[in-house]
Amino acid sequence: MKTDNCRERRESLGAYALEQLGDEERIALEAHLEGCPDCRAELEQLSQLVRPMSLADPARFDIAPSPSPTLAARVAAVIAAERRKERRRRVGFGFALGGAAAAVATVLVLLVLPGDEAEGPEQHVTFADLPGKLQVSAKLIPNAFGTEIHMYVKGVSSGTLCTVFMRGRNGERLSAGTFRYRWGDGSYPILSSALDLSKTKTMEIEVGKHSFFARVGGPEPDPT
Amino acid sequence: MSAGALSKERDVREAYSAHAGELYGFAMRSLGDAGLAEEAVQETFLRAWRAGNRFDPQIGSLRTWLFAILRNVVIDLGRARAARPGVAKEGAEQSVDPIEDSLLAWQVEEAMRRIGDQHRRILVETHYRGRPYAEVATELEIPVGTVKSRVYYALKALRVALEEIGYED
Repeated sequence: MKTDNCRERRESLGAYALEQLGDEERIALEAHLEGCPDCRAELEQLSQLVRPMSLADPARFDIAPSPSPTLAARVAAVIAAERRKERRRRVGFGFALGGAAAAVATVLVLLVLPGDEAEGPEQHVTFADLPGKLQVSAKLIPNAFGTEIHMYVKGVSSGTLCTVFMRGRNGERLSAGTFRYRWGDGSYPILSSALDLSKTKTMEIEVGKHSFFARVGGPEPDPT
Repeated sequence: MSAGALSKERDVREAYSAHAGELYGFAMRSLGDAGLAEEAVQETFLRAWRAGNRFDPQIGSLRTWLFAILRNVVIDLGRARAARPGVAKEGAEQSVDPIEDSLLAWQVEEAMRRIGDQHRRILVETHYRGRPYAEVATELEIPVGTVKSRVYYALKALRVALEEIGYED
C-alpha cells in the first residue's frame, strides 16, 4: 500500500534498521509495517546490511590500500618462470618418448616447442659462417620482462664457456647470461634479456675466446 | 574474456590491471600484513595461470573466479602463519568463518569509499560514532528529518555499491 504516509514512513526505515529511532516513532513505524508488505520487504533488504556494517572499520573508509608498484612485475616474472618450467617438462617428455640420439632429440625439441603461449611472434636466429663443426642457433621469445632466449650449441668441447649478449637498435648492449656447453646432456640453456625483442638488432655469443654475431629479424649474419 | 582467459601473459597483465587492486584490498584486510597480502595476490595470479584453461565465463566472471582463488590462498597463508612457532593466534576464534567476515568487512569498506561523501558522512556520524540525530543536524545545519532521510538513502546507496562489488545476502 503506497501512500504519502508510506513514503514518509519509508524514509524512517534506515534509522529503524540501525536502531536509531525513538520509541514513539518506532512504535508508529511498526504499526505501519504491519499493513505494508512493500515497506517490510525494503526493511528486510536494509536490515541485511547491519551485520556487514558492524564488521567494517570506519578508519579504513577514506584510504584504499594499494599494492606496491613492483608487484605487477613480480607477478609477470613468476608466471614467466612457470611457463619456462612447463616448457622444460614438455621437452623432458619429448626426450623420454624419443630415447634416441641427441641430434634426433634436438629436432624433437624444436617440434614440441612451437605453438606455445609466447606473446607475439617468436624468432629463430641462426649463426652462419661458423668455424669447424660449430653450430649455433637460438629461439627468441618476447615476453613481459623482455626476451627469453633458448640457445642451441653443438660442435665445441664439453664445458666450453658461452656468453650471450643482445644489442638494441639504439646500440645498447645487454648481457643475457652465460652457460657451459655440455656434450650429450640433451638439454639446452634458457637465458633472459631485459631487451625487448622488437628493439633487438643483433645477438652476440662468445664461445670460448671467439665471438660470433647474428642479425635478429633477418637471416644474414652481422659482419661486425 | 573467453575460456582459458589467462593462458597468455598479456591476459594476465589485463586481469592484473583490472582486479589486482581489489584483490590486494581484500588480502590486506584478511591478512593484515602488506607483504603477505602481496604474496597472496601473486599466488592468486599464479594459480589462475596454471588453471587458466578451467576458467569458464559462463559459470562466473573472471573477477569472481579470482576472488575464489584468493580466498583459498588467504586460508592457506593464514594456516601457514598460524603454524609458525611464536605467532600469536589473537582473535582467531572470534568468528565462525573469519575469511567470510574479512570479505564482508572489506566489501563494506570498499562500498563506503564508492558512495558519495554526504552518504558516507551521515552513516559515520550516526551509526559508527553513535551521535544523536539532533547533534548531527545542528552540525550540518539541516533538519533532523533530513538526517533521517539521508540515513535511509545512504543505506540504499551502500546496498547498490555492495552489490556492484559482488556482495550477496
